[in-house]
Amino acid sequence: MSGIIKAQNVNFAYTRTPVLENISFEIQPGDYVGIIGPNGGGKTTLLKVMLGLEKGKGSIELFGTPLPQFQEWHKIGYLAQKSPVSQSRFPISAQEVVLMGLLGRRGSRISVGELKQVYEAMQQTNTREYADRIFNDLSIGQQQRVLLARALVSHPQLLILDEPSTALDASSRELFFNLLGNLNKKQGVTILLITHDTGEVGKYISKFMYIDKTLVFFGTKPEFCHSKAVAEKLGAFAQHTIDHLHNHHGHCPLGADCEECAHDH
Amino acid sequence: MITEFLSYGFVQKGLIAGSLVAAACALLGVFLVLKRLSLIGDGMSHVCLTGVALALFTATSPVYMSIPVVLLSSLGIMKLTQKFRIYGDAAIGIVSAAGLSVGLLITSLAGGFNTDLLSYLFGSILTVTTDETVLCGLLFIIILTGICLFYREVTSACFDEPFAKTRGIKVGTVNAVLVMITSVAVVLAFKVVGIFLISALLIIPPVASLLVARTFKQVLCLAVVFGVLSVWGGIYISFVWDIPSGACVILMNLLFLLGSYTYNKIMGK
Repeated sequence: MSGIIKAQNVNFAYTRTPVLENISFEIQPGDYVGIIGPNGGGKTTLLKVMLGLEKGKGSIELFGTPLPQFQEWHKIGYLAQKSPVSQSRFPISAQEVVLMGLLGRRGSRISVGELKQVYEAMQQTNTREYADRIFNDLSIGQQQRVLLARALVSHPQLLILDEPSTALDASSRELFFNLLGNLNKKQGVTILLITHDTGEVGKYISKFMYIDKTLVFFGTKPEFCHSKAVAEKLGAFAQHTIDHLHNHHGHCPLGADCEECAHDH
Repeated sequence: MITEFLSYGFVQKGLIAGSLVAAACALLGVFLVLKRLSLIGDGMSHVCLTGVALALFTATSPVYMSIPVVLLSSLGIMKLTQKFRIYGDAAIGIVSAAGLSVGLLITSLAGGFNTDLLSYLFGSILTVTTDETVLCGLLFIIILTGICLFYREVTSACFDEPFAKTRGIKVGTVNAVLVMITSVAVVLAFKVVGIFLISALLIIPPVASLLVARTFKQVLCLAVVFGVLSVWGGIYISFVWDIPSGACVILMNLLFLLGSYTYNKIMGK
């Protein structure tokens, strides 16, 4: 099976400070990958390089096409960590913001079909009720949900999300992760998610990628949780993550699949 | 009085050219203000001094001489920000200072300031030629057509640049076109309000409009209305009281800004 994203020897540096070094991996269709790592480890930069927002060295292919030639942007939904729009005085409605997610597909004209898609995306993210309100008048959490609707509106095959749940309250977060879980399981949407919230999102994620300037670990959740070598290699942060995965809400997110828990019990 | 005012050919030409330039600047200004590039007009206007000084030195048309000079400078600003990762405001400051100093140097070599140069510094809308009026019309049509054809792309690029890039929009091209058209608008505007006050035409109508409009299309339309009415009001006041037209136009703009602010406060927007 060919990868949806294929990265080979990706390097990136701000002036002379290396941020990413020799990163290679392949994301398969249907993967739900949690990208973790310490602050400043290069997680956000990696996503930006993958999307062409920062120019790195090495090779990146999206859906089998080298990044510089890639045109099918409607296949990708992206939600940034810090959106430049939240402080803006831009007088634009939430619905118009969501509509921007369809730009890569059909050019400038707005069709009835597009409006239907916008309606559906806003329905999915519970933002329909404030579709006509000015985006800037919404709370940060509401804005984040509108931006998620914008990422979903083109029915992407790949969702790239950079700490998307930071501004959400508990109920919105649960709704949000359930939605992502359903998109991944039922519609086969591939998801790449930077998160520090490994406990809550852990039950959905199928693979972990640990970035700390280099690709320290990339593999399945059981491999990540139970590899002592990984724990030794990654030190305190990884141990904390593993503990969090096991202890969050008092149960192991792997459930019956977790051999370690089975032994404990 | 108004009939007499409108009966003069030079007034009619000034009103038409001034309205077209004000409308063009207002439309461009909305995007520049929202992209936090509004001071680019100020920087470009200083570079105009080099163009005007060169024109006076070589006895050519200041407008035609300034257009390539300002265009090259705008490209210089973009290169500084992209290649050398210098902040936009710093790049504008560098090019602006360079433009002003070269202009002053050429003026000095030419034997100092004279009446012609002063009229460009403070504006002389009533001396606009037919060719310049046609150029203003062309510029306005190009800007209006561009906005109508690429409304969603340009809006998206201004609203959220990184996301627009992930939709396949050539944000770099959008920015380059915006800056280059602004350069031409700045050159055409220096006859209306003068080199020192050009940036006000790019900044004040959009800011006033942003205070009262509820949609982006309203922002564009209101900015044009404020810009054009300021030109008409400013020229009329200048004609009646025999005072500098450029300053009157800008003061009218400030009145609209004050009105918008008051409306904003009353409506609790």
